Amino acid sequence: MIEVPDLAVGALALGTLSAFALGGGLLRSRRQLAAQRAKTAALRAQLDGTSRTFTSEVEHLAARRLPAAARQAAHSHVTVPGPLNPQLAGSPLGFALEQVLNGLHAELAAQRTRIDAAAQAGMRGATREIQAALYRLQDALRGLQQRYDDPELAQTLFELDHENEQSLRRAQIAAVVCGAWVGLAREESHLVDAVTGGQARLAGYRRVRVANHLDSGTALVSHAVEPVAIIVAELLDNALRHSAPDTDVVVNLEAVHHGVCVTVDDAGLGMTQDERARAQRMVAGSDPILLTELGDPPRMGLAAIGQLTRQFDLSVDVSSPSPYGGVRAVLRVDSHLLTRIDPEELPPAASAPRSTRKAAVRGSGSGSGTPKGSGAGLPGTPPAPRPVTAAPPVAPPHEPESVAPPHEPEPAPAAESDGSRPAAEPGNPEPLPTAATATASQEHDHGYGSEQDAGDDTPVPGHHGPREGGGLPQRRRRGRATNSSGPAAAEPAAPRRPAAEAAPQRRPRRPEESAAALGALQSGTAAARSAAGPNTTAVPAVSDGAPAATTADGASEDTDSNDHEGGTAR
Amino acid sequence: MTGRRGGRPLVPAYLSTGGVARPSRAHLERLSVLTGSGEQAPADLPAAQAALLEELEYGSLTVQEAAALLRLPVSAVLVLAADLLDRDLVLARAPIPPARRFDPDLLKRVADGLRDLKHR
Repeated sequence: MIEVPDLAVGALALGTLSAFALGGGLLRSRRQLAAQRAKTAALRAQLDGTSRTFTSEVEHLAARRLPAAARQAAHSHVTVPGPLNPQLAGSPLGFALEQVLNGLHAELAAQRTRIDAAAQAGMRGATREIQAALYRLQDALRGLQQRYDDPELAQTLFELDHENEQSLRRAQIAAVVCGAWVGLAREESHLVDAVTGGQARLAGYRRVRVANHLDSGTALVSHAVEPVAIIVAELLDNALRHSAPDTDVVVNLEAVHHGVCVTVDDAGLGMTQDERARAQRMVAGSDPILLTELGDPPRMGLAAIGQLTRQFDLSVDVSSPSPYGGVRAVLRVDSHLLTRIDPEELPPAASAPRSTRKAAVRGSGSGSGTPKGSGAGLPGTPPAPRPVTAAPPVAPPHEPESVAPPHEPEPAPAAESDGSRPAAEPGNPEPLPTAATATASQEHDHGYGSEQDAGDDTPVPGHHGPREGGGLPQRRRRGRATNSSGPAAAEPAAPRRPAAEAAPQRRPRRPEESAAALGALQSGTAAARSAAGPNTTAVPAVSDGAPAATTADGASEDTDSNDHEGGTAR
Repeated sequence: MTGRRGGRPLVPAYLSTGGVARPSRAHLERLSVLTGSGEQAPADLPAAQAALLEELEYGSLTVQEAAALLRLPVSAVLVLAADLLDRDLVLARAPIPPARRFDPDLLKRVADGLRDLKHR
């Protein structure tokens, strides 16, 4: 019977043991579960945190960084803020966010260029039309100027023309900034004409003083004429605008080794370092131009210069201050854009300042090669290996002829020069003969004296010109011949002397000289006739009566011209 | 190309006189004859006046001719000439009036009379 309780005890014990074991396992698993749960909670919390950070980062990106990046495309001074969490910077997320910004940036830039190009195209079209219309207006105004010389009307026409020039300049630079062609094809022209033309386009053109130190005949090739005029106009406009209205703006045209420099100096405020750097960047034309960057209203001058310098291979420097305190702008035109125009054939415009080089030519001619200026600046040698056209080669062949005719009368020149030469030299009261001319050429120190002096060699080219030209007589300028006689000036002084002596005889006579000669003849005849009067009374009566009968005005004309004789002799 | 004088002038006319079109003296006309007085020109003469004087150095010119040579409108040359006159650098003479035509009737009558005399 005992076995049953044993069995029971054993079973009980076994049960207890297993219960313990199970309990322990349960306990362990519960603890494990708790740990799991805690871990899960921690992970979830961490996940929450991460996603919150991510969200806030993206929100920050949308709210702050993207607008800033977009704004930065237009205004480079705007800084794009970094991520909220600085630790993100190196992480893949941070990198991805940066990529978003970069993509936006690139797309914005492309978009902007596209829009700007469209705006430029629109503006280009509009300004092109305006420019063409203004040129037509200019033609009309100039036609009227030629036709009417009533002072009041002419005054109005001048003012209108000036206004028109200014509008034209605005339209033109707007077009140029927008990438258009300058809009006008010109022929090759004197450089000083281009500069003076640029000057005329400004409201304050009277304040501009142009000093032309170039060889006369220095010219621009055709495609560079208008760009140079535009650039000069813009540089002058800046100079005029940033200097006091009572100061002058000084322009100097000088030959340099590589070409020609146009220097514009103003006595104005000057620029700060930053402004100067910006201006220099603009005129260099290396960056593409965006209309939206030019400000409102757009400041187009420098941008236009930049476009032109890039397109036409010119160079502008605004980086140095002027000795007058303002800005010094230097436009350099390289020799491949330069050419030569015979100033006799096609003189520069009347309003263009004459070259100061004449004095140099004369100095080296009569003063036996005075060293004047730099080596490159000698009168006979153009500052660059530019194509020297017909002028110098033509002059020397005439040089001997100018001496020859007095001794061996060539048929044609003699006949022609006789026609224009005083027939009655002795009866001429004018200070025409040799001594007077010689003294005149000595005492005249300025341009005119030098012209006269230099002109002494050249009347023969002047006389020969018409026949070369074929037929009709042409006026040739003596003064401008100075340069074409450059080679002659290089000759020793000895052969020049005979030329100068021979010259006065072949000087074309002035009307009042011939009038004086004829007057002398007339009075001589009258005197002789009155002496022989008693014999033939009828003849003087007729000869006196005839002029009186033809026109009373003729007589008054005579006295009038005699009055002027007096004036001339004084 | 060089010899061609066409094209739009680069330098407008108003620049020659500094924008002035009213001459300082009114009696000059298109056909007034200008002559250089031979006086020495001052060095600071404006460019256009100097150019006009330079043309006159070669002989007398009417205002119209000078305008053509300088490629300026007559109105501008009038101003330049008046300024030069003020400086005594130039002399001006009134235009030569056109000769008056004889009355054709009178001429005819004279001719008839002469013919009459001949036939008589």
